[in-house]
This record gives sequence, structure tokens and C-alpha cells, in this order.
Amino acid sequence: MTADAIVLGAGPNGLAAAALLARAGRRVLVLERGTATPVPDWEAGWVLPALVRDLALDRHGWTPSLPDPWLTIPLPKGGTLALHRDVARTAEAIRRVNPADGARWPEFCERAARVARFLAGLYAAPPPHPVPSGAGDLLQLAGIARRARGLGRTGLTDLLRWLPMPVQDLLDDWFSDETLKGALGGLGVSGTRYGPRAGGTAFVLLHHHAGSPAGVFRSESTGLRGALATAARGHGVEIRTGAEAARVLVARDRSAGVVLTTGEEITSDLVVSSADPRRTFLDLLGPDHLDPEFLHAVRSIRFRGATALVELSTAGRPPFAGLAAAPSLDHLERAADAVKYGRVSDRPAVDLRVTGPAPDGRHRLQASVQYAPYALRDGAWDEAGRRAVADAGLGALRTHVPALADARVERVLAPADLETLYGLTEGSLSHGEMALDQILFMRPVAGWARYRTPLPGLYLGGAGAHPGGGVPGAAGYHAARAALRDG
Amino acid sequence: MTAARYDVVVIGGGHNGLVAAAYLARAGRRVLVLERRERVGGAAVTEEVFPGFRYSVFSYVVSLLRPEIVRELDLPRHGLDILPLESTVTPLPGGDYLAAWGDHDRSRRELYRHSPHDAEAVDEFGRLMHHMALAVRPILSMMPPDPASLSPGDLRGLLRLGRHFAGLGAERFHALYKLMTMSAADFLDEWFECEPLKATKSASGIIGTFLGPRSPGTAYVLLHHYMGELDGAFRAWGFARGGTGAVSEAIAGAARAAGAEIRTGAGVARVLTRGGRTAGVVLDDGTEIRARAVMSGLDPRRTFLGLLEEGELPAELVADVRRYRFRGSSAKVNLALSELPDFTCMPGPGPHLRGAVSISPSIDYLERAYDDAKYGEPSRRPYMDIVIPSMIDPGMAPPGRHVMSVFVQYAPWAVNGGWTDARREQLGDTVIDTIAEHAPNLKRAILHRQVITPADIERITGLSEGNIFQGELALQQLFFLRPAPAWARYRTPVRGFYQCGSGTHPGGGIMGASGRLAALALLADRA
Repeated sequence: MTADAIVLGAGPNGLAAAALLARAGRRVLVLERGTATPVPDWEAGWVLPALVRDLALDRHGWTPSLPDPWLTIPLPKGGTLALHRDVARTAEAIRRVNPADGARWPEFCERAARVARFLAGLYAAPPPHPVPSGAGDLLQLAGIARRARGLGRTGLTDLLRWLPMPVQDLLDDWFSDETLKGALGGLGVSGTRYGPRAGGTAFVLLHHHAGSPAGVFRSESTGLRGALATAARGHGVEIRTGAEAARVLVARDRSAGVVLTTGEEITSDLVVSSADPRRTFLDLLGPDHLDPEFLHAVRSIRFRGATALVELSTAGRPPFAGLAAAPSLDHLERAADAVKYGRVSDRPAVDLRVTGPAPDGRHRLQASVQYAPYALRDGAWDEAGRRAVADAGLGALRTHVPALADARVERVLAPADLETLYGLTEGSLSHGEMALDQILFMRPVAGWARYRTPLPGLYLGGAGAHPGGGVPGAAGYHAARAALRDG
Repeated sequence: MTAARYDVVVIGGGHNGLVAAAYLARAGRRVLVLERRERVGGAAVTEEVFPGFRYSVFSYVVSLLRPEIVRELDLPRHGLDILPLESTVTPLPGGDYLAAWGDHDRSRRELYRHSPHDAEAVDEFGRLMHHMALAVRPILSMMPPDPASLSPGDLRGLLRLGRHFAGLGAERFHALYKLMTMSAADFLDEWFECEPLKATKSASGIIGTFLGPRSPGTAYVLLHHYMGELDGAFRAWGFARGGTGAVSEAIAGAARAAGAEIRTGAGVARVLTRGGRTAGVVLDDGTEIRARAVMSGLDPRRTFLGLLEEGELPAELVADVRRYRFRGSSAKVNLALSELPDFTCMPGPGPHLRGAVSISPSIDYLERAYDDAKYGEPSRRPYMDIVIPSMIDPGMAPPGRHVMSVFVQYAPWAVNGGWTDARREQLGDTVIDTIAEHAPNLKRAILHRQVITPADIERITGLSEGNIFQGELALQQLFFLRPAPAWARYRTPVRGFYQCGSGTHPGGGIMGASGRLAALALLADRA
């Protein structure tokens, strides 16, 4: 069998790449290995406006959904603090907990939004080359410099100062209420192995803020995967599930297609992988086709998944859309301490999202429980370990959230399970840590950040490429455009 | 008050204040240095704390002092003599050790014993760090441009900076970027496998910070400490003959020779201003000294919030200085010994006692030490850098006796319940107990001990929160953000008032670069 293009993986990035290539007239085949129920988390995040426009996603069932309040925070003395989309309303709610913090909320939101808008601008394009090698690079850099200086003195200073900061320092600069700082700090460490005292976690907070209005620090949408699949099929893309690529074929020093685990060969000049960089380069392509320095760089990518996903269900509809159980920054930091030494946090931080009603009539929720190491220092992940994580997570929630009294654990995915089931190296949901040294022109590795790979005809279009996790479809979009530009 | 007798009054006779004074005096300015203590040096002092035993009380090794300063101020002529510290030995649990010697081949053979892979990698790593230090070196001697400014000078500076980085080429730029953003542990993980090697190297990434080796940002501090290993003055860490105070004395000598006047026992209460410009200073005893310009070598908190009235500064700068982070994390234990410590891993006297002994067996060890401090407790098992100055410079102790200098981390300034005498002695006990695990004779050898907590550093030297760098060396507090955006060029909103401490670019260590650049800024202003 032959195709004009093969896309590996039917997640948002793979589907976005496939749809875009098909729209340009290519016969595209998407190969999806997994048959496991996808994790709802992979739809969360900001969707590039250009992607929505080019594929008319809004006409295929995609809707940005900004729950209001977007985050509910249990208060230590009972009751909750609700963070609403409306900045003034949230400020008022915070003021009842802590007057000074409430007063600072509007300015914080405005300044954070300014920095996030700058990041959003970076995410809407392939990453810049800081060491320009041509007029195009220089032009892009000049544009970025102009935008940065356009932020004004305060905005520019915030940009330069905030990104490398620990989220703890950033929040301490602005707020004093432990509960509020804990909840926002949780967003800054979400998906990472870091505690809130680690440099670069302020960046993570702002990364997840990109694309959202001021005062909303994370994006939600519904129906992204369905809309992308519909758009892709509409352009003639064939999506095959249960089809796992074993190897990328190489002929005459360029990609020639893939071999499936069944032995079937599919030839194609163009292969776009939305698998993570380690799987793409070390498993699918293989070290023989790569030079030692590139290999070393790929092997040095830090994945280190540290989040366990616990799927819950409740009989009643929970009275919130998203809930953060991280009572203080120190609580987060102590939770992070455990994972440094290969242990599961006794008192984890939990980020809970309602993911909708299930066919059985119960309401589904997904709890991201931090921290759980990919590799336990003592022993391997087993049923008891998974149960322990779920118990710890639920324990952290039940104390504060009466609605979860009857919550049932449906499924527990430790980082190791995420690797086995979904091919995520070390269980890293973002295909590699979102840390300052692994973003932009450093993602996936320095010198290869523009979706092309050392093998002509092979492109990387997963979250392991710029702009990373939490911007679903964006890397696939940029990768497809790079491939089309190359012919 | 009479007409100004001085062109410039320098507040604080620390090494940066002295460097600034020397440069200003050499340019023909009438300079007066005012030092609160009875001796110059700030945190770079030698004191005979117990009869016959001379301690480099705070700062104890030298390597970062800028070669151009040594040369331009002719410091060797004023008595500066650096004796090399050639080895580092890391005792390991189980009685083994990891050693790095002055002799390259010997070091390599030693490392090979632990890890053939690392012995292969270590030279290439050294070359990389050398190139990285070369790449950063010009920036250390550069006045930071203001990224938000539209002035032609700043734009030129920014452009020059851009060209400098672009000129490094992609590969080196990427390596430098990694060093600026990564944790020391992650950075070293890409190169090495031997735990004690990684731990001992990463230790220089945590010195003076309130970060652990796994905290992003520590790779930069690692590089900062590599700076001294350049082809500059000393190549490696060294010890000043006569103790660290001798460095200060040499700089003071150069300043005096150029005509500067240095007054000790003269604490400054505040800076006099008139119509938005400086008029001089008022001493603690009420004496007014008029000067056309004033330069402060104190840290940013003392400079802006202590020496001036709040109303004299823009509210934004006051807020920026308030959130500037100090968080001192280091302590010092100085011991007078009746005999040399006898390390179980390397028994008897030997060349290792002329170098450093590093208590850093693994990254986890250092990280756990940090974990304790995060929650307000001194490390139960601290990281320590131990040297025996009397082995290198016998003049530091009576014949047959020795002084031992122990740098300790972490001891958080904001310790739970505050620093008390009991807390201080507890810290001393922890330090001695931990060293005694490796050198059991230590306890009986101790004649005197001096324990210096971050609170003591603050009280004695004036360094806020006992931070040895006048503020954390974290990316968000470096270069054009040090100490505050828009005020990173040694000037202040008060005309004629300058800052020259290591709270300004390029920051801490006995480097002197801040003092030199501040002096140049003042001279450029014709102030």
C-alpha cells in the first residue's frame, strides 16, 4: 500500500497534521496503535485560532468551553473560593478571603495576560532561531523583539523576570493567602516533576494561561478530537486504528514509509510522527540512522512523568467544573519532595476536572494526582501501588469536597501505565518536561526545533515539538505546514 | 556644613567599595571610604579570633577576582599573593573517596577508578565549560543595557549583546542557554554517571543560593564559579596569603596609594539629598560629610531602603527592592585545631589536607540537605566545603596548630523560631558530628570553635539576610534585572548617588567587577 503521507498517532496533533496535509491535496493515512480509551486531558488546552480557521473546526463540533467558575478552591475553614471568568467578580470573592489579595487580583490578571499573549504569539508560529542563519530568521527575531518591546517597560520586565522564576516567588510577590497561592501554584507545576520553588514554574503557569482571557489560567474545549477527525475525514484522510507502526522505513537516506507490527509495509515519502521524540527517534527510526550527538540529545530529553491520572465517577453532578486541592505552596513542595526520591506523595496535590456524564448515568471526573514517579525506587508499579495513589488522591479531596463522598475509582493510570497504554515515554503527558531548557528552539532538541528531523521526509509533529503540551494540535499544525513548504 | 571636601564618598569598605575607590582615586577624584567596622574588607576579612589563630572569618577562597582589576590596580605590588588550592577530596560512605588533584593525569586515573565513562567525558566537559566561561566573560565586564529603553546607547548595547550571542554560533549558544536555565544536577546528568563527581561539581551550583542541586537555575551558579578557572589571574581556587582579608588590604593599599582616604569605625546613617541629588552623608554619630557624589557598596535593601528616605525614590523601585530576594543559606564554622584531622578514607597527613575536602557524597545527599532548609531547619546532614588554610599558609596558626574553615549549607536565615545561641551551638555540633564521621579525631583536636550563622553574617557584615552574594544569583535577579529593572547600571534615581555592591551586575564572589563598573559609570557621568 502507498500513501502520499503517513501520520503516526490519532491524537489532536496527529489529526491536525493529517487534516492539513489532506486539505492540501495529499492522500493521507493515519495510523493509531492504541485502542484504549483516550484520556480526556489530551483535549484540554488552547487551540490555535489558525487551526480552527483552516479546518473550520467550529463547524465540526468543536467549541471552546470556558466553565464558569473555571476553578473552585476548597477553603480550609469550609466553603469554597470560586475563580470566575469575570475578573471583578473573582476579585470580590478573593477579597472576602483576603482583602489585600482581592485588591491585587485585577492587576495581576492584566499583567499575566499580557505576558501570556506574548507567549501565545510565539506558539502561533514555529519557534525562532536565536542564532539566525538567514534573512527569514532575522526577520522573525526582529518581529519578536518588536513585540517584546511593545509590551512597554512593565510588560517587558514582567516577561524577562517572570519566566525564569519559581511560581512560588511570583505568587509571593502578589498574594499572601496560602489557599489561593496553593491553587495557582498547582497550575504552575501541573504535569511537571517540579515543586513550586523550582525556577521556570512561573513559565508553566503562563504557558497554560496562553490563549485564555485575563483571569482564566487554563483553557478548556470540548469535542476537539471529534472535530479534528471529522475535518480530516472530510478532506479524505483515512484513519486506521489498531495499527501500530514498528519502524520507519528508510531508503536512499530519506523516509520511505513505515512497517506495521503486523509486518505490513506502507510506502510513503512523507511520514509525520506525533509520537514523542524518544519513541520516534529511538524506537521507530532507530539509532543506526542518527549521528551520535543527535542521539545523545534525544536520550537527554527529560520526560519524568510524575502525574497519575485517576478517573472517578459520582452519582450526583459535582457542583464544580474544575477543582484544585493544593492547600498551600508548602504542601505542594512537600508533595514534590517525595518524587525526587522515587516515592509517591503521601499527601498529594489534586487537580480535578469534571469530564462529563458517562453512558451509565454517573458523572465522570479526572483527577490529576501529583506526584507519582514513573519509576518507584522500591519495587514496581502494581495494583496495590495504583490503589494507594487513588486513595491518597481521594483522601486529599474527600476532606474538603463533600460531593465526592460516594466517588468511585474507575481507573488509575500511573505514569508507567501511561507509557504502556499510550506509548508516552515515562508517562510524560507533555512528551517531555515543559521546562525552560526544553521549550521553543530547544524542543525537542537544539537545532531540530522546526519539525524537520535528520531524516528527510520524517517530521515530528507531536507535543515533543514546539509549542509542547497543553496546546493541542499546534505542533501537528506547524509540522504539516513545514512538510508542505518542503514539498 | 562647609564646601565639599570630597568628590566621592564610598559607603562600605568591602572589596567592591575599595575597588571603586581605587579606580576613582586613580582618575583623580578625592575619595573617602567610610567603613562601619574597625577594619576594611566587609565579608573579606582576616581576624585573629583566638590568640594566634587567624581566620578568614567569612569568605575564604578566591578565584573570581577579575584579572583586569588585579592588573590595573597592580594588586601583587600591594601584597596580594594567591596560593593555589589544588585538590578536592570527597569522602564517601564505606571508606572510599573521590579525589581531584592538581595533576591532570592523576585526577583522570582516580576518576577512571570510579567510572571509565566519566574519565573519558571529563576533559570534554572541561573544554565546554571553558568555552562557556569565555562566552560569558565579556558580559561580566559589560554595563547592562536597558532592554526597555529607546536611547541610542541602550539600543547599541542590546544590539552588541545580540551580536555577541549570535557570534557564539548555534552549538555554543544552545549550551549556554542550557546552563542558564537548567539545574546543576540535570546538566551534569547529561555528562556524568559517577554520583560523588556530580554531587561535588553541583555543589558549586548551590553555593550561596536557597536552591537545591535539582533546582533549575543552579547550572548558572555552577558556571559563575567556573569563571575563575579561566586563563585569568589564578586559574583555580586559591587562598590568599594572610587570609581573605589580605585581598581587601591589597585593594585598600592600591586605593590609598592613589590618594583615597579610608576611615574605619565610621558607619553611615543616611545619604543627604537636596533637590533630587546627593549632597553627602550623615554618619551614625551625626557628623555630616559633604561630597559631590556618593557611592554605596551596601546591598540593595540597605542602599535604597536604609540610606534614603522612601519618598526620595519612585514607588516602583521601592517595590522592586522589597521583592528582591536574599534568603541567606550559608553558615561558617571556623575551628582552631591542636592536630590535623585524620580522614578515615585517606589516613595520616598528606597532600589532600592542602586542598579542599567536600562533604558531598551524592546529589540526593545535597538535595535532602536543601529539603530540611526549605521548611526552616538547618540541614541535618549539611553540605560542607572544608579547607585548612594553615596547611597552605603556616602564618595562620601557631606552630604545630591549625585552623580549619568549614563552609556549611544549608542554614536558612529564616530558621524556625529565629537564630538563638542554642540554635547556633546546635549547628556547630551538627557540623562537627558530620565531619567526625569522616575524621574521628576531629572532636579531640578542637581548641576553639566559632560558628557563624546567616544571622551573624547579617549582624557583623550588614549583608541582608546573610546572603553572601548581596542577593540570590537567580536568572530573574541577574544582568539588567540586578538589582532592579531600569536601575541595573549602577546609577540610582538620586543624581550623584551610585551603587557598587555585588547586588549589582555581575554579582557575588570576590570579583570586584561591580565596583569597577560602578566607578566607570560615575566617571562617564562626570559626576
